[in-house]
This record gives sequence, C-alpha cells and structure tokens, in this order.
Amino acid sequence: MPMLDIKNLTLEIDTPMGWVSALDKVSLSIDTSEIRALVGESGSGKSLIVKSIVGAIPERWRVTADRMNWKGNDLLGMSGNQRRAITRNEISVILQNASAALDPSATLREQIEESIPSYRLTKGWFWQRRQQRLDIAIQELHRVGIRDHNLCLSSYAHQLPEDICQKFSIAMALVSKPKLLIADNPTVGMETTTKVQILKLLTKLNKTQGLSVLFVSHDLLAIAAMANTMTVLYCGQTVESGSIEQVKRRPLHPYTKALLDSAPSFRRDLPPKSPLSCLDGTIPTLQHLPIGCRLGPRCPRAQRECVKMPATRHIHGHSYACHFPLHRDKP
Amino acid sequence: MLIAIARRLNLLIITLFILCLASYVLAFLFPGDALTNLSGIPALSADQSHQLQLMYALNEGWFSGFWTYLKLTLNGDWGVSLNSQTPIFEDILKLLPASLELSLYAMVISLVVGLPLGVLAGLKHRSYTDMSILSVSLTGFSFPVFWLSLLLILIFSLQLGYLPMSGRISLLFDIPHSTGFILVDILRSEMPVKDAALFDALRHLVLPTLSLSIVTTALVIRLIRRSVVTVYASDFIKAAYTKGLSHSQVFWRHGMKNALLPIMPQLAMQFTVLLTNAMIVEVIFSWPGIGEWLIQAIYQRDFPAIRGGMLAVSAVVVTFTISVELLVRILYPLNKRQFYAQT
Repeated sequence: MPMLDIKNLTLEIDTPMGWVSALDKVSLSIDTSEIRALVGESGSGKSLIVKSIVGAIPERWRVTADRMNWKGNDLLGMSGNQRRAITRNEISVILQNASAALDPSATLREQIEESIPSYRLTKGWFWQRRQQRLDIAIQELHRVGIRDHNLCLSSYAHQLPEDICQKFSIAMALVSKPKLLIADNPTVGMETTTKVQILKLLTKLNKTQGLSVLFVSHDLLAIAAMANTMTVLYCGQTVESGSIEQVKRRPLHPYTKALLDSAPSFRRDLPPKSPLSCLDGTIPTLQHLPIGCRLGPRCPRAQRECVKMPATRHIHGHSYACHFPLHRDKP
Repeated sequence: MLIAIARRLNLLIITLFILCLASYVLAFLFPGDALTNLSGIPALSADQSHQLQLMYALNEGWFSGFWTYLKLTLNGDWGVSLNSQTPIFEDILKLLPASLELSLYAMVISLVVGLPLGVLAGLKHRSYTDMSILSVSLTGFSFPVFWLSLLLILIFSLQLGYLPMSGRISLLFDIPHSTGFILVDILRSEMPVKDAALFDALRHLVLPTLSLSIVTTALVIRLIRRSVVTVYASDFIKAAYTKGLSHSQVFWRHGMKNALLPIMPQLAMQFTVLLTNAMIVEVIFSWPGIGEWLIQAIYQRDFPAIRGGMLAVSAVVVTFTISVELLVRILYPLNKRQFYAQT
C-alpha cells in the first residue's frame, strides 16, 4: 500500500472570474522509501500540491479528492488535530523561498527548537531539555553542512544568505525525523557542490532510514540522479507518471517528451551548435485555461478530440493521459 | 543599534531646533510688534522697550537674536500671555497634563477595544464577522468629532442626565495641583472624600474620552486588520502550519508579533491624531487642557501664547513619535535590514 495516496485531487480557487481549478484531478502516490520527483514548469501547480497535502492553503479555497490517504487514513476527512499530529510527526515540508518561510522576528534557534518533537527529548528537567534541544539543533545543522552553528542559530532569517536559509530549512524539516519529506525546490539557486551534498544527504537518508521524499524541482539532472519515479505535471494536470527509466527511455506524452528534449544534457545524440528544442508559447494563466487537455494549444499532436480530457491509461506501472500518445503505433 | 539610536536622537534634536526656529520666525510674521509678540508685554515706554530689546538681543542681528531666544526658551522663559499676563511656560505645564491625560485614556480605550476586534476581523478575513466589524469601524471613522461629542452631551447629559457635561471635576472638590493628572492627583491628595472625588472625576471623564476614542478605535481596527491579513497570507505562517503547530501556537508565536510590531509606529501616530481631536473635544466639554487654552489664545490673538502652545504641542508629538520608533527598532529585528539598506 502506498504511504501517501492521492487520487483526483482538485483545488479550486475563487477568482473574480469565478471558481478556477488550479489543480485538476491530480493523482500522485508515494511508496515507503521511494523518492518521487514532481516535475513541471513554473506555474504548473507543484507548490499548490505540496501545500494541499499539508493543508497550508486558505480556508476559502476548495480542496476535493477521491482519495487523499496517509497510510490508509483519509487526510481530508480527519479532524484538524489528527492532521496536525501527522504533519508534526510524520511529514516534513521544505517550502519554496526558504528565507520567506522563516519567521522574520524570531531567531533561527527559536524556530528550529520549536520543530523538535518531544519524543526526541529524553531528559527530564527543563534545563536539561533546553541543553538537549540546543544539542539536537546543532547536530542537525552540521548534518546539512552548516558549520558555523552559533552564528546561524543566533541570527535572524534576513541576516543570512539565501542558501544558508535553504540548508537551515532542510535541517528544520529533518529534525522531527519524518517518514516523508516534501521538498519544494530545496536546491534552487545553490552552487553545484552544495547542491550535490544536499542531494547526497537526502539519498543517504532514503537508503539508511527509509525516508520517502517527494522531490519537487525543475532540475532534471538532479531528479535523474536520485529519484526512483517521477510525475510530470502540466498546468495543474498530471500528464504522465512512471519510473524514471521508463519515462526517460520512452516518454508517452508529448509534453514529457518536450520537457526531456529541452534538457540538452539528457540527449546524447545532440550535435554541437544544433538548435535547442522547446514547445512554443507559454503556460496559460489561471484566467485563460483551455478546456480538456490543457496542453492542447501548445501540443504538436493536438487534434479535435483533445478538447475532452483524456482518461488516464496505465501500462506496466507507467500511466499517461493523452489521446494521441507517442510510440503508440509501434509495438 | 547605537547608530540607530544616535540617528533618532539626531533627528529629534534637529526637529526640535527647527520648531524653535519656526516659532521665532512666527513672532516676526505675526501682525504687530515683534518684541510684543516675543515677550507678551505691550511696550509702554521707550525705556521698557529698550530693555526688552536688550533682553532679546534684537539689535545684534538675527543670529544672536535667535541664539538668545533659544537660550530663553530652554530656560523656560517663554514670555507672558498678552491677555492674562501670566507666564506661558507655567500655564502650559499646568494645562498640558490635562490634555495628555485625556488623550492617554482615549488611546488606552482605543487599543483595548480596537486590538481584539482588529485581530478578529483579520483572522476571519472576508467573513461576515469581518464585514460587520469593518462596517462598524467605518461608521465610527466617519463621525465628525465635534458633532459626536455634541450628540453625546445631548443624549447622556441633557436628555438622560446620567453624566456631567463639562469640566474635569465638580467644583465642590478642591484638588491640590501636583502632577496635573487629575486621577493621580486625587489619589495622592489627603482629602477626606477621596472616593467621591474619584468617582466624580471618572464621571466627568466618560464623555470626552468616549467621543475621542471612537474615531481612533475605528482607525486602530483598520490598521490591525490589514496587518493581520498581510501576515497571515505570508509564507512563514504557512510554514509554521506545516510544522504542525496548532492555530493558537501559530497565532501567539508567529502571528501576533509580526502583525503588531511593524504597525507600532502607525499606532503611535494615532496619538497625534488624538491630541488634535482633543483640542476640539476640550473646547466642547470645557476641559481645562492645552487645546482649549490654545484655541482661546487664537480667538483673542494672543500671539505669545499661540507661539508657545504650538511649540509645546509639536514638541510633545515629535518626542513621542520618535521614542516609539526607537522602541520598535529595538524590539523588531527586521527594521535593521531596512536600516542597513539605506546606508
């Protein structure tokens, strides 16, 4: 049974033009100790998925799903307290814009100590607990590669550079020893060596402690290096999902193909100085969503049927939603 | 931090200096004799006039004239009032606490009422609670102060007769003047009928404070509501929720602090609005404060008093604003970034 199982998640946002579904029947599942990548352009609703999983969206937006289960328990149906207990103890989130996600008026020490769950504190007296909290915080900071822990803990978020803030958010997410880590663009803007260290850390935790990761990113190389499976998102719709090897070797959806082709380092056959390929146009805004398959206006293979949303089809654990998939005619 | 404090102090001193300069220049711009406007003594003989000229160093050029004026102002020699021939500085010292007292109580009431309502409206953004609080505050905001106070007098003093309509305290009580704050004075005095006097003073306070605080409460509600809405839409509140904190934990640990600290200077600004409104209210309720005194001075073209009153009120406002700003800077770390970005 998958650990997190989401089926047909729909998120509707109230705009002046009426209700717009920013996420349209997204399905996603994460197994125990799996690293799943969630890929898509900016504006495709990746962060919205993250926020709806942990319930950090405004109350007036409508979230509906056929299924949104955490270890078999329905997340949407349970009470606020139960859900908080799960997000506190079992799921951790690294939000985009690390420095904006930290409280500007509290030192980082207060913030990371707030995240330490009580079961990690073994000592009884409050002064011992205080010391232990600090020890745990320092240990976590060293783990993500922050060496100057005193400076970091006594600073406010705006006093530190963005990549330290990012590392700090990762430390803060890991401090509660989660079962599932949802990382929304955790390595964006980091220099390559630091990025590799963070990816290595996540992979190591995945291998040794069975940590599942939902890795939200644009970075196809990082994803190919560490993820087991991947889900491609376009404009709030799940386009294709499957294991990395399957998707890489044989993308079935035109969007996935375009996405993979747009990363030149993925293509070994690319001769020097050849034009880079990409889809024409941009991702539509929420005000101008096309009906049916939302890739329609940009899709090179679009036909009349594409105004209806294609049903999701599954082949050997590889699922896609397209009327005219690639390679279909070949056996 | 030290630089920040030094900057504020610098600002305070320069502003007060400019205020003094303005008040000095005013004496020459007012109609009539500049010497009379400065000293408040209508010059009778040439001898007396000469003596005043020496005192204000008017014949030694404008710079040393201003320097002398500055020294006299700092020494508390602000001239005498044209009408009553009493020293202005003593008058102001006696009257200013009455105005400050009124504004202070109104401020406290505005905060006590406005803060919870504003926070509630902000948390329940776009709900019926929010809408109703907002419309009540809009109504309160739209009342002209003078009309509201007249209406209150009409209803509660004249029609129903519950509350007195003017003055600080009934004439039956003789309160010795020590701090100028009437409630403090009563508590410190050695009178036999302390309780009755206190009750009477409180009854006199109700209507002026109420009419003053309604407008400010409305402003406070709107300020706080906006700030709470902004803070709750920000990423770090979402992040706090994703940590699994409960609503009350998020509210007390992250929400309130970030919502209130940035608007502290704006809240403090309301005190200046209050002081302005207090002048109107003081006239209507015959409250013996600086506002009533100043407006009387304006009616009677008592130029030395106008000059002194303006200087005193603006000095209070400037000092108050700058000290609140300094306090916020000490408490709120984010402002430091803005500070460093400026330099």
